[in-house]
Amino acid sequence: MKQLLPISLNVNGDSYDIAIPPWRTLLEVLRENLGLTGTKKSCLEGQCGACTVLLDGKPVNSCLLLAVEAQGKEITTIEGLARDGVLHPLQKAFVEHGAIQCGFCSPGMALAAKALLDRNPNPSEDEVRHAIVGHLCRCTGYFQIIEAIRDAAAEMARKDVQA
Amino acid sequence: MSELSVVGQRVRSPDAYDKVTGGKGFPVNVRLPGMLHGKLLRSPYAHARIVRIDTAKAEKLPGVKAVLTPSAVPQIKYHSVFFAPNLDPGMVRDMLILSDTVRFAGEPVAAVAATELEIAEEALELIDVEYDVLPAVFDPGEAMRPGAPQIWEHAPNNVAVNLSFGFGDVEQGFKQADYVFENTYQTQRVHTCYMEPRVCVVDSDRQGDLTVWSSTQHIFGLQEKLAFALGLPISKVRVVKPRYIGGGFGGKLDLGYIEPVCALLSLKSGRPVRIEQTRYEDFITTARHPVKVQLRTGVKKDGTFTARYAKSILETGAHATHGAVVLPVHGLMGFLLTYRCPDVKWEGCAVYTNNMIGGGFRGYGGPQGAFAVESQIDEICEELKLDPIAFRLKNAHREADPHPFNPNFTLSTYRLDECLKRGAQEFEWSKRQSAGSGSGTKKRGIGFACQPLWVSGCVGFPGIYEHSGAIVKLNVDGTADLSIATVDMGCGQNAVLSQIVAEELGVSADAVRIAYADTQTVPFDAPTHASRVTYSAGNAVKVAAGSARKRLLEVASQLFGASPDDLEVVNGRVRLKGSRAKEIPIAEVVELAGAPALTLGLEGNQRTPIADKGTILGTSSLAPASNPSPATAEFVEVEVDTETGEVRPLRALFAHDIGRVISPLGAEGQVEGGFQQGMGFALMENLVFDSETGSCLAGDFLNYKIPTAIEMPGEIKSLFIESNEPSGPFGAKALAEPCLIVPAPAIANAIYNAIGVRVRELPITPEKILAALGKL
Repeated sequence: MKQLLPISLNVNGDSYDIAIPPWRTLLEVLRENLGLTGTKKSCLEGQCGACTVLLDGKPVNSCLLLAVEAQGKEITTIEGLARDGVLHPLQKAFVEHGAIQCGFCSPGMALAAKALLDRNPNPSEDEVRHAIVGHLCRCTGYFQIIEAIRDAAAEMARKDVQA
Repeated sequence: MSELSVVGQRVRSPDAYDKVTGGKGFPVNVRLPGMLHGKLLRSPYAHARIVRIDTAKAEKLPGVKAVLTPSAVPQIKYHSVFFAPNLDPGMVRDMLILSDTVRFAGEPVAAVAATELEIAEEALELIDVEYDVLPAVFDPGEAMRPGAPQIWEHAPNNVAVNLSFGFGDVEQGFKQADYVFENTYQTQRVHTCYMEPRVCVVDSDRQGDLTVWSSTQHIFGLQEKLAFALGLPISKVRVVKPRYIGGGFGGKLDLGYIEPVCALLSLKSGRPVRIEQTRYEDFITTARHPVKVQLRTGVKKDGTFTARYAKSILETGAHATHGAVVLPVHGLMGFLLTYRCPDVKWEGCAVYTNNMIGGGFRGYGGPQGAFAVESQIDEICEELKLDPIAFRLKNAHREADPHPFNPNFTLSTYRLDECLKRGAQEFEWSKRQSAGSGSGTKKRGIGFACQPLWVSGCVGFPGIYEHSGAIVKLNVDGTADLSIATVDMGCGQNAVLSQIVAEELGVSADAVRIAYADTQTVPFDAPTHASRVTYSAGNAVKVAAGSARKRLLEVASQLFGASPDDLEVVNGRVRLKGSRAKEIPIAEVVELAGAPALTLGLEGNQRTPIADKGTILGTSSLAPASNPSPATAEFVEVEVDTETGEVRPLRALFAHDIGRVISPLGAEGQVEGGFQQGMGFALMENLVFDSETGSCLAGDFLNYKIPTAIEMPGEIKSLFIESNEPSGPFGAKALAEPCLIVPAPAIANAIYNAIGVRVRELPITPEKILAALGKL
């Protein structure tokens, strides 16, 4: 019999109590135990960024993180980015700029971009490029993604001013 | 051009909302109750005969439900390529689901299905295989030499396919030449790097009927190939169309090992079975074929071609599969038909080695040809002091010429000249300095290349499917459902096809929904490949939508008391042409057509005003009328660090004649993404194999580098030269593949312009630059 470890995870504001083999990665648990398939599995070696989630607001490769290590932290997946059915400005900008082609890298890209804008609301193009350097995209050539992130930053700044 | 309301607009992809919130529709998400997990045991040897396989221990492991070995699977030789029928004589059938001889390191020898993935992995370790290791050969040149290890009995000297074609008398043509240039160019093995792994789930019922979910570019090809390999009638195999897949680029255009293995494991266990490839397995599943191209080209002093000869040696790896088709496509589209020339000859062969099997990859033989042809033209121009743009204009085909590929067509729209002239002007080509003239250690250069001729589908190619079909059904809320087999692999097919349907029906783009489809419910469609969807499938959906519209107007005519010919649909409302006096929403017409014939009212039964009842729909199944060629020119500026050998592309401009642009947002995305792939091909990507053992040394993204956001140039401009192709849907032609074909020669030519030395072997790495500069 496998030794199962009870763990407690906070994902997108919801808490989940589950029992898993201790070697399970956060990626596996999100996809297979919690059914949160928005987090994508592509290289499993931390090289492509598709599985990126936010851990206390910081982007991490969920394929390289054991689920047990994510306990006690706030985990944000792509499913938690839109609130009450309203897209986050980043998601809206991704849609409108054509930043999504096949869409497999999009959740990781969007979360990396959110982490960037949370710490730097007005990034230069160069800063945007460096923020997504760990995220491979084979469809877009990154241009529409970069434009979307910068446009979202501008949009969020406009909203802040209005508020 | 006439007024269009949806075509040409920057509409959002119908899948974008779903994808940006997590993307539920990827095949990698398919799970079924009771599903087992399968794994393949792969050979560590590049060439070996299996003497014995002992699976007893694996079968006894708790949780293992089925084990397969070569002796337990059908031994029907097939070819795996989706777009050509299995029995096509031009194809080589050398594939088996599992064989007792392995011919590349990583070829599967056994498979397991278990209740959990970890149990399946453990079971693989319990399978004992005794191999008789055979001599192997990894270089195509060596493989053709006498005495080399023979990989297949049917292929003496390991030559899988030998072809030649041409016209005129090439030796006579060389006699007419003032100069003859001879150069050899070599391309490397590169991978498509789709981000979603190849994955499938196969379920079976008690009658042996199979249902397949797969990350495929072609549901009908998968159905036919799978049924053939299993020895089943196609009616026993149903393939469900994925809502979209996570990239393909040609890398999901063939039957993998995983689908037939899953099918057999499911039949054996009576349960659904899923196999998802690891990234390493994906790397050794499909790749662009390395090609060595020897060019001999005769020109007059003024730069007119008199004779062109090429010999191409393509490495197909352990099986012929795509190699048998990439070879002639490369010869035709990559060389023979590119420019006007009276005497042309091409010879080529596909050579077996004990390396991985080559596959489809955007451009399909074109990139290897364009790198050679467009590099050599630059070399000729440099030598003869001719302008590279004037040289191409002199030798290019012209609009209204007979189509060089198929004399039944003409080049009805073909604006290469405008692409060259306007592109040159916008890029300020005239400011180009002479080669290597810059000072300092970082030198800049600009370069240029084109893909003069390409395809909008496969009409005219022997042995390749080229037709599409669609069903457009109108709903009572005024929306339309489009059912079509075309798979959206990320290039925006769902957006483009929705726009065409919307335009034809007279509704907004978001009123068109892409419906469920599988091989039972929709007409045949050729694959998502060959830059064909916008043109070929676009024509099919336009006809289906047109037929639904016709029916809509027939029904509406009863409400207007007018002839259907006098009606039109504008913004989702039917009206008399040009009149706003009375407008009836489509929804109302559809509802009346579908409503009961009699309704009970206060004054008794009332007849609805529509006499003939039914769902309003339109269908189509047709082959396109032509194969109009897009035209592509690209300009690139690079900076070469002569101390480190590093090359940085700084900016690029694409000038394309793709007919009418249906979806500008998508078209720009194609150009930019194509540049990323072409730039990787030019500068960094190389799927390297150990020359002693044949095992892959670059099977992950750390060792196989693709351009990231910081390596991409600062700017890529798309300049669409819009022609109005008469045979295309709303004037459209193709776009997809040339975006990847032209960057490599354009970058190579720009590097030459920067440093004055030529590299004829891809990728152009810092080492090669430094060696060319005499610094290594």
